[in-house]
Amino acid sequence: MGLARTLMRTIVWLHGDSLSPADPALVANPGAPAIFVFDEGFLARVGLSFKRLFFLYECALEAIEGRDGEIHRGDVVAEVWAFAVARGATAVHVTASVAPGFRSRLDALRARMPVVVHEPQPLVAWRGAAPRRFSAFWRTAEPEALRPTGAGPAELRDEGGDG
Amino acid sequence: MKLRTDLTSRAARVAYLAEALGGLFRGPAEPAPAPGGRRAALARLAAFDPRDYARTRNDVVRRGVSALSPYIRHGVLGLAEVRDYLLARFGRGPGVEKFVNELGWRAFWQLVYASLGSRVHEPIEPRKLPTTAEPPVREVPDDVVAAATGLACIDESLGELYRDGYMHNHARMWVAAYLQHWRRVDWRAGARLFYRHLLDGDPASNSLSWQWVGGTFSHKPYFFNRQNVERFSGGAFCRRCPAAGGACPFDASYEQLAQRLFGVPLEVLEQGPRR
Repeated sequence: MGLARTLMRTIVWLHGDSLSPADPALVANPGAPAIFVFDEGFLARVGLSFKRLFFLYECALEAIEGRDGEIHRGDVVAEVWAFAVARGATAVHVTASVAPGFRSRLDALRARMPVVVHEPQPLVAWRGAAPRRFSAFWRTAEPEALRPTGAGPAELRDEGGDG
Repeated sequence: MKLRTDLTSRAARVAYLAEALGGLFRGPAEPAPAPGGRRAALARLAAFDPRDYARTRNDVVRRGVSALSPYIRHGVLGLAEVRDYLLARFGRGPGVEKFVNELGWRAFWQLVYASLGSRVHEPIEPRKLPTTAEPPVREVPDDVVAAATGLACIDESLGELYRDGYMHNHARMWVAAYLQHWRRVDWRAGARLFYRHLLDGDPASNSLSWQWVGGTFSHKPYFFNRQNVERFSGGAFCRRCPAAGGACPFDASYEQLAQRLFGVPLEVLEQGPRR
């Protein structure tokens, strides 16, 4: 491990909108430790079915496969921060989400340590607020939405083009 | 608290997680048939042929749908990579274009969520045609919760929701319309029920779709009739429905239902609110 790597130790925070081994924050940090937290306060309040939680668990298990990865239950900010401290990390990397709960947790974490936010590739680049109706959105977005930017998931690329 | 990540069999994981997450879920500790994870998501994507999607997607029984929504919702698959893969493999055509349009809906809901935040959980616009001064029913009625309304299209769709954590999109529209327009249930209660069970349950997509059906996020409410159910289930629901003989509340023309449910002629409903 190079000097730069040891000085810039990072961990990756995975959340419910980024449960993939192809998650941008994970891909940008190969080999970095990663953590997903079942949000105790939120889950106790909404009472989801077990099916949903188990689905998240299976997704998280596969996302952290082959890494120093952990799945926790508790307060998201406290658990991510403690995990970062335990790994000697100086920054947390995470993929952005538009959920208001993500924003508040991000702010709370940033009060404790630097956080680098990665943007997932959007279907279309869009600036500004959403229009009031889908039809107005689609009139503008459709040409770009139908323009490919690649061949899709690398894992499937060998099968591409055989249809 | 740190959870175990070393268990390999699904049964062992289920038993373990039920205990580890005790107090954080409601209902039985049973998994959905759909496995989580990127490998399962990619297998579904590779198996999906969208070329006939435009024609078959609305059929609740035959189902030309992709079943990718739980994976897309949780970021296991990205919208752009799904689009890229399907275009590279199948090229453009009515089916692929319709499917990309549905990906567009997901992108749109997320944009609205980015703009409105938690306000997506409250009515965004006034109801277009209130027919009654009575406040809506605050909770989902027991017979609906129990999937025991006596209406096959509703009960079987709810049964699938509880069993598989999934409901076909067209069936979601039927159930949401039934709850809001026939049973006068506050959409927020219906949205909470769906959100608790759907593997693809997303705060924005879910609440905004309920509002689209109710007419607080569209220019008119969505409703349906028996003919629509017959057509998009190949008659399967109605054949085994106890109410099909004469008690079906959906067995009417759209003109009749507009009057019955909203107290106005269909033309008025179709035009939307007066400008």
